Formats: sequence, C-alpha cells, structure tokens
Amino acid sequence: MNILVFTKRVPATQEEELRIIDEGQGIDFSKVPFKVNDWDNYAVEEAVQIAEKTGGSATAISIGDAESDEVLRRAIAMGIKDGFLIETEQILHDPNARATLIFNFLKKEGIPYDAIFTGVQSEDDQFAAVGGILAAKLGLPYASMIIGIDSLEQGHMIVQRELEGGLQERIKIILPCVLSIQSGINEPRYVSIMGIRKASKVERKLFKAKAYDENLNSMIEVVKWVYPPKKGGATILSGELEGVCKDLLGILKEKGVY
Amino acid sequence: MSYALVVAEVRRGVFEERNLDSIGICALMGKDVSLLVPDDNSYLINEKLVNTIIKVKLEEATFLNPLNMVKVVQAVIDYRGNPDTIVFTHSSSGTELASYVAGYFNLPLITDVSGFNKEKNFFYKSYYSDKLFGEFRQTGEGTCVITVRSGSFKEYAVEKASSPITETIEGTPAAEGRSFIEYVEEETAEIDITKAEFLLSVGRGVGNKDEIPDYEELAGMLKAVLSGSRPVIDKQWLPKPRQVGTSGKTVKPKVYLAMGISGAFQHIAGMKDSDCIIAVNKDPEAPIFQYAHFGIIADIHKVRDKLRNIIKG
Repeated sequence: MNILVFTKRVPATQEEELRIIDEGQGIDFSKVPFKVNDWDNYAVEEAVQIAEKTGGSATAISIGDAESDEVLRRAIAMGIKDGFLIETEQILHDPNARATLIFNFLKKEGIPYDAIFTGVQSEDDQFAAVGGILAAKLGLPYASMIIGIDSLEQGHMIVQRELEGGLQERIKIILPCVLSIQSGINEPRYVSIMGIRKASKVERKLFKAKAYDENLNSMIEVVKWVYPPKKGGATILSGELEGVCKDLLGILKEKGVY
Repeated sequence: MSYALVVAEVRRGVFEERNLDSIGICALMGKDVSLLVPDDNSYLINEKLVNTIIKVKLEEATFLNPLNMVKVVQAVIDYRGNPDTIVFTHSSSGTELASYVAGYFNLPLITDVSGFNKEKNFFYKSYYSDKLFGEFRQTGEGTCVITVRSGSFKEYAVEKASSPITETIEGTPAAEGRSFIEYVEEETAEIDITKAEFLLSVGRGVGNKDEIPDYEELAGMLKAVLSGSRPVIDKQWLPKPRQVGTSGKTVKPKVYLAMGISGAFQHIAGMKDSDCIIAVNKDPEAPIFQYAHFGIIADIHKVRDKLRNIIKG
C-alpha cells in the first residue's frame, strides 16, 4: 500500500509564554522552539507500520517554509521513504486554503496513493479540518479520530473511531480513503539524532506552493489575536514549598477528603 | 428568510447535550434555527428552542456519516434555500461532518468556536491550547460552516413560547464508501474514577513512565484515586478507564488535584464541575489555573516529594 502522510512543524507552546505583537496582528515566536505536531507523529508511525506490513511505501508531505524540512527528515528517520516539501512563506490559517493547495498538488503531480493520513488536528490552530476538506474535494470516503486499524483487506479497511465518553465505533471504509489519526493509536518510535542525521542524506523533494495555487486565497481571516479572558482564576498558594504543601493538605482536610 | 441550520448529534438514541451549544450560538447571533435530526429515534428534544425541526428518514449512524450528510444538506438546500450558517458540535462526529460539508460545498469553515461578538460579527476561536484566541470572520458573503465548543453557548439556548414546524424529508441511500458496523464499549475498569471523592490526576508534566509509581504512592497516602489526562493514557502509563476528559470519563469529585496538567479544553470539559479544583503546574500561564480554585506554581515532582515527606512526618 502507498500511503501519503501529512506532517506539520508547529511552535512548541506547552511551556512558553506567547506574546501578541503589532497591536493584535502578530504573535512573537522569536523565543519559541518548534517541533513536529504531536498527532502527526502517530500518523507517520501508522503509515510506516502499514507500509512495512503490506509492502509499498509511505511518503511524508509538509506545507511550510524551508524550516519544515526538519519534520520531513524526522519522518524519514522513522521509516518514511520520501519527503515532499510544498514550500510557502505564507502562514495558511484557513484549512480550506491548505486543503486546496494539497488537492491541486496531488492532481498536478499525479502522485499515486491508496490512503492519505493526517493527524486529527494540529496543536497550533486546532482546526481538525484539513483531512475532511481534502477528502470531500477528492471525492473520497473520510473518517476521523482513528484509534485502530483492525484489518486491511483488498480494497477496504475496518477501522475504529473514537467517540465521546469512552465509546468507539467500528466502520468499514473503502480505499482509497482519507483518515485522520488520533493520538494513542500506536507508540511512535524513538528517533535518535544519528537517525535524523542519516535521514538528511535521503533526498527530499521541494515544490513551490505558487505552482499549485497562485494566490492561496483564504475564505476566513484573523481580525486580531487576543489573550484569553481572565475568569475568576485560582487563589495561588505562594511562599516556601513546605508551607505551600502544608496549605494544600489543609485544604484537603477542610474538604473532608484527607 | 435567512436561517441557521443546526446539525444535531444523536448517539444511541440520545440527543446529545452539546447540541444546546449549537442552538445557543444561533440565538446569540439572532438567527432562526432549523434543527436537522435523524428520524429513527424517539429521543427527547426541547422543541421550544428551535423554529423548525427537519427530520430526515435515516438511521443515526447513516445520518452521522459525512458521505451521507453532504446529500442531506443538499436536500435541505434544495428544499429551503441556503442557510447562512451551518452549525455542528466540536466533537468526534461534528468536526468530521463539518469539514466534509465545507469541502464538498466549498464553504468557509471556522471550528472550535467558543465565543461570538455580535457588534463586530466575528467568531472567537482558540489557538495554542487556549493560550491565545483569534477573532475570525469569513472574508466573503454566503454560508459559513462552524463547529462550536461544548459548554460555550448553552446558556443562550432559552425557551421561546412558540412551537416549531416539523418537516420530514426523505433520506438518501446509504453511501457505499463508508459503512457503520457497530458501537464498541470501552473495557471495564478495575476502579471507577467517576465514583471517587478525591482524584489525583496527572498529566504530560509527569515527564516519563518511571515517575508514575511515585504518584501512585502519593495517591495512596492521600487516600485519593489516581487518574490522568489524555497524553498519559496515550502513552499507556495509566489504563484507558482512568482517563479524564471528553474521550474518557467526566468526573465530579469533591477534590480534583491536577498535577502537571495544562488544561486542554477536552480535559477541562471532563472535570470542570468538581467541587474543588487544585492545580499544580510550573507554567503560570497554563489554562487550568483559570478553572482551578487553588493553584500552586511549582515543579510537580518537588511538590510530590515534599508532600510525601510531610505525611511521613
């Protein structure tokens, strides 16, 4: 099976303070490190495992600036055969614009595939939408939140989708199809620095976004960035750690649980 | 007449409560609501919340399949004209359906909407796990597709006196590309975290699997039950029935002590109604501090070790 998997370079904002600049028109990323979108790691791992099991190959594709080459090298180090970078300096907030660019790229380059994987969402914009829009444009079946591929038959797959409250659903989906892969479906393999260095020697193919979509038009726009509204907020226990911990135990006693 | 089309989520015969958020945002936007539902169940809907109920002759699993949903939406458009907003919930099914509908009809899409500004006509959408929000709007005219965050607009879904018109439209033949087989229940738990009075919940901040036994020990010393957020369960550091959040369990203990959890909304949705929430995190900007009653800004391992020392005396 030939699988295309999308992987995105995103700012690692977990433990970073984000600063809005230019009167709400920009965000300062100058001190923020970047990494692979967490969900895409699971999608890449799943693609590699299927290619290993069934033969065929897995190809990673990223849209982004030249720096996104880093996520392709990482994917290759995980066992991906080819890495394609669709290069643009523009930040595409609109999932429609991303999906249209991918759609045009696949059509023009005539790249063969049996399945297309994306992560469920990206950590930065949390749209959870590119896979679905792309599937509809390609006229292919789509399923999201995939937490298990139970069987892979000639022409179809049986997959499990995650629903809410611990419930799952099992569905049959015909190939080719688009799936968005949920975290926890597998255990993404460890990638060593050596592995990434070795992957640097595998050629990555570079495509210019402008060749597939002249204007990269957006159907939506960000008017302004704002900080989240402060709700009541927590009473912060401060001081020496010893005292803070004693205060914490005091609260537990007061609530009658300790 | 302009109207908003709210696509309901019905799961195993239950009209999901998060549909109220979809109805609520329409009320806030001042739009007439047409509620689209599958017609194979006798679930309860508060009919006074909507102007029109459009029943589609389809089973719920067929209705919730994106390949069928685009045909259903087309049938509604043929019948009623274009809605100016199509509203889905921001859930497993809602995001799946919304993105497919937006792609199929080439419509603008804004997901995970948690606020709306009526004067300026923009949607408020989370970025970077709620560390920032963007004020979004569509650039052109015409129908916009949105998904709304659970718990954000429920309060606006207030009863109107009128009773709605009910219309029934024919279903479409089930799509061949994707078919429903069955629902699968989660494995049964050795401990039911929904029954615990005191949960000690750990998140990504725990760092690695080797630290888990020490938190288990602390939980034992505090007479708490150990639970976790999604990253901890994904990495299989704790079993799935211990997961707190939308895809895991919703809990309401007397005390919820969150250690190393930053507070993705999927997690918050599963624990925000706890009587007392105490959060420990080294990042003072972590969204969980907005929901916690008490907060400690510190390294969780140091807090854990200190607590153990104090308890041991």
